[in-house]
Amino acid sequence: MDTMETLNGIFREVFDDPSIILKRETTADDIDEWDSLSHINLVIAVETKFNIRFALGELQTLKNVGEMVDLIEKKIRK
Amino acid sequence: MTFYSLEFFLFLPLVFIIYHYSGDRVRRLVLLLASVCFYAAFRLPHLVLALVCVVSVSYVIGLRIDASSTPGRRIGLLWLGIGANLLVLIAVKYLPFIVACLNTLASKLSWGVSLPESPLLVSIGVSYFVFQALSYIIDVYLKTEAAERDFVLFALYLSFFPKLLQGPIERTADLLPQLRAPYEFRYDVVRSGLLLFTWGMFKKLVVADRLALYVNMVYADVHGNSGTALLLATYLYAFQLLLDFSGYTDMARGVARLFNINLTQNFNAPYLATSVADFWRRWHISFSRWILDYIFKPLQMSFRDWGTFGTAFALFVTFLVSGIWHGASWGFVIWGLLHGLFLAVSVYYRPWKKRLYKATGLQGTWLQQIWQTVVTFNLVCFTWVFFRAASISDAWYIVTHVFSDIVSVFSHGGFSQAFQLGAGKTKFLQSLIPLSAVLLLSLVKDKVDLFARPFWFRWGAYYLLVYLILYQGVITSKATFVYFQF
Repeated sequence: MDTMETLNGIFREVFDDPSIILKRETTADDIDEWDSLSHINLVIAVETKFNIRFALGELQTLKNVGEMVDLIEKKIRK
Repeated sequence: MTFYSLEFFLFLPLVFIIYHYSGDRVRRLVLLLASVCFYAAFRLPHLVLALVCVVSVSYVIGLRIDASSTPGRRIGLLWLGIGANLLVLIAVKYLPFIVACLNTLASKLSWGVSLPESPLLVSIGVSYFVFQALSYIIDVYLKTEAAERDFVLFALYLSFFPKLLQGPIERTADLLPQLRAPYEFRYDVVRSGLLLFTWGMFKKLVVADRLALYVNMVYADVHGNSGTALLLATYLYAFQLLLDFSGYTDMARGVARLFNINLTQNFNAPYLATSVADFWRRWHISFSRWILDYIFKPLQMSFRDWGTFGTAFALFVTFLVSGIWHGASWGFVIWGLLHGLFLAVSVYYRPWKKRLYKATGLQGTWLQQIWQTVVTFNLVCFTWVFFRAASISDAWYIVTHVFSDIVSVFSHGGFSQAFQLGAGKTKFLQSLIPLSAVLLLSLVKDKVDLFARPFWFRWGAYYLLVYLILYQGVITSKATFVYFQF
């Protein structure tokens, strides 16, 4: 299973929405709300699944899902 | 200089004319010089000095971060920039409070030393441009923004006079490109700006300041007023603050439109929020986005291994900072902590909320909406007590006495007692009439396009607005905006 497919599975699980189909161009609509835990749950789920650790500020610079996939793959290779 | 002072009514047309007839190359310089004059008109040299320090330091740090490729050096510069900006803020705003706290601690611990008292300085505007400078430095560090090389443009971004004193706290990506774009005179934008400015002035002078007459009298003597008067004054304060601050924001946005600049909208019917989190998406939006992005998110990320507690704790700390940002007093700290507490509790309560509404059959009904709005409004008003009261003991007296005579309200006409002990029925009613009018007008304002109406209707509305400001407005030489002090 490639990174994109695995990530798609995580998104579906965290957002509790089996219809999610990720593309490289997919961007986060303003989901980061004061009462929202989904963003941090997503980060934790991705870190656990790929056994990686994001540094502070690394995620803020990502513009879309494609860049997230690239970052994950770069971290796995390290 | 305030937006409704006589000087401003001479200053603004003059700046506009010079700006309009200047060549493209000097236009930004005209606005920058106008902004410095606007700030210097307070005749408080330390304010201009603080602005110069923040602009110069942030400009240089931004360029250095951009030019540096070593991660260690970049982070060092980031912290240097943050530290230098915070130092300016502390020096202007927090030094007397810190010194007083240290002296109290020293005397309690019998250290036998005390620091000399620090002079209390006026800090109008400083918190706003320091926060804007911090967001710029962090964005350059994160590479979400490029460092600005044009010094005049950068200085103007931080000091643009319509938003200098009280925000909105503009992001680099929102304001810099607009300031960089060539000037274009657009009659419809200028006209809508002038109307927005006048509407803001109406909200401030006719409604907020009239409400303040009642609120100030009651809050000046909390022990001498009945519980009902305290309750009414607290509810009215909620609206006074909203109209004072949103009135200012409308005026700022209106002035900016004269130069074809669109500033961020700071309010979106905050008292219709259905949760405290929702309230923070609607109240002082430019500020809440700032603390969300630059304090809450990094903290939440750092505490992520602690699970739900991590998020709750991050919220708590974020709103503590928000309280301190508003001012160096325990009332603001408690106000911030209460919001942090409400949001932290809501993180745990969230899974139960859905079940509760489902079990009671309220899920998705209008009753649920009304219930949530009423509860949220009351929670917010509860926190305003600490925000407004002159001291913590006054605030505590209010929250423990608001219902002290609630029975007599229904049985012995306690409402009239509230008026007598408060500020009199006439003053109270004088506050309520314009308030109701402005709330009603706010609801229909966006639906009725005034500029699409016939000539006589438009000009009738303009004259009515100006007449009300001049004859019903509370115009004094000492009037100021509540949020100036932050």
